[in-house]
Amino acid sequence: MKKRDITLTVNGEVMEVTVAANQTLLEVLRETIELTDTKYGCGTGECGACTVLVDGSKPILSCLTLAATMNGKSITTAAGLAKDGELHPVQQAFVEEAGIQCGFCTPGMVLKTVSILAENPHPSEDEIRHKLEGNICRCTGYAKIVKSVQRAADLMSAGKAAE
Amino acid sequence: MSSRVLPDFELFIPTSLAECLDILARQGDKATVMAGGTDILVMMKASFRPDIVVSLVEVPGLDAFEWDAAKGLRLGAAVTVSQLLASAEVRRHYPALWQAAENFATPQIRNRATVIGNLLRASPAGDCSCAILALGGTVVFAGPAGRREVDIDKLWLAYNVTARKPDELAVELRLPPPGAGTRSGFHRLTRVNEDLAKLNAAVRLEMDGTICKSARMAMGCVGPTMLRLPKCEAAVTGKTLDETVLKSLQDIVQSEISPIDDKRSTAEYRRSVAGVVLKRIIRHALEA
Repeated sequence: MKKRDITLTVNGEVMEVTVAANQTLLEVLRETIELTDTKYGCGTGECGACTVLVDGSKPILSCLTLAATMNGKSITTAAGLAKDGELHPVQQAFVEEAGIQCGFCTPGMVLKTVSILAENPHPSEDEIRHKLEGNICRCTGYAKIVKSVQRAADLMSAGKAAE
Repeated sequence: MSSRVLPDFELFIPTSLAECLDILARQGDKATVMAGGTDILVMMKASFRPDIVVSLVEVPGLDAFEWDAAKGLRLGAAVTVSQLLASAEVRRHYPALWQAAENFATPQIRNRATVIGNLLRASPAGDCSCAILALGGTVVFAGPAGRREVDIDKLWLAYNVTARKPDELAVELRLPPPGAGTRSGFHRLTRVNEDLAKLNAAVRLEMDGTICKSARMAMGCVGPTMLRLPKCEAAVTGKTLDETVLKSLQDIVQSEISPIDDKRSTAEYRRSVAGVVLKRIIRHALEA
């Protein structure tokens, strides 16, 4: 099968990768680039474990994206959120509110939260719950995840105020 | 069952519309066109085995998103469901389509799934498809012989079969502008939002005061394609849409739908709720 050379910016780092036509972005992230924070859940667009952000804050499913169609794009995975050894406020909020149980959905949940707060820094609980659709957690029942999103909104607005 | 690995196929990523049409002309029905990929890649992880996939991701000029009060709405083949949801014009002038976008799958899917892709999938459950059938409009196909417009009423020929010829690309959707008395709405029933609908429906009403001058109604998940409901439309035309008229739809709609039992719902449930959903959409559209 014909391979293609593409350029991806992953977590701020520009890289050239060679991909096969039938490789998903998820496979390239996990197996070629060896960033395993992005998870394979269902493979069919239901669970959101493979969520990554494209061009800043737009969440997409890496399991339903052909890597070859992402030439030139900028991808953020959960591993790209922390800066200089400091957790991103959204990650910090998930730790503080214990919005994590087994952790498998967490990278996707965290990235989805970043996208929710980029669209609206102060979402209502209804809005949070509506926008968390597409990210399934099989452990917690979501109450602590919703609290984590609310806590993240507080941390981020406090951080903005302090700047 | 779905597989972790996609099957082998040849991938084309044309960088112009002319190149894309040339590939389609040469490959014919061996080629599958992919815009967002949210349907096709799921199908390929199940049992769909196309020889050739043609991605539209690098074809320029497919991103038109133009609203004009006299001409209506023009959407290019690359326009995503998220873009509908972010549009104040769509929300104001085409509430049925905006409501369909709001309830369409999940944010991640909406960011990739295209409106025209939803039409071309020819699924009887498509939410945008349902709203667009009620609103009316045309799909523009580009092919070797130039362009042609296909009325939305003539787009779907059977389950997963459209009027598109193998050498054509659907490049644009055109929706007519609403009039002063146009009202529209969409509603669907699901267990959770991620699911496809158990049943979806949409209406467009042309109102003159309290009288309905004309109507278009569409219902999904109740037949092999998205269905128009001409008898229900006739039953409200020329009438004041009071409780008696709206209640009559529950009986009338029964002869227009042929729902089945499947993993999402049952024929019996779909028959029970069909008229209720129509009534609620109409009431809500008139209140808005």
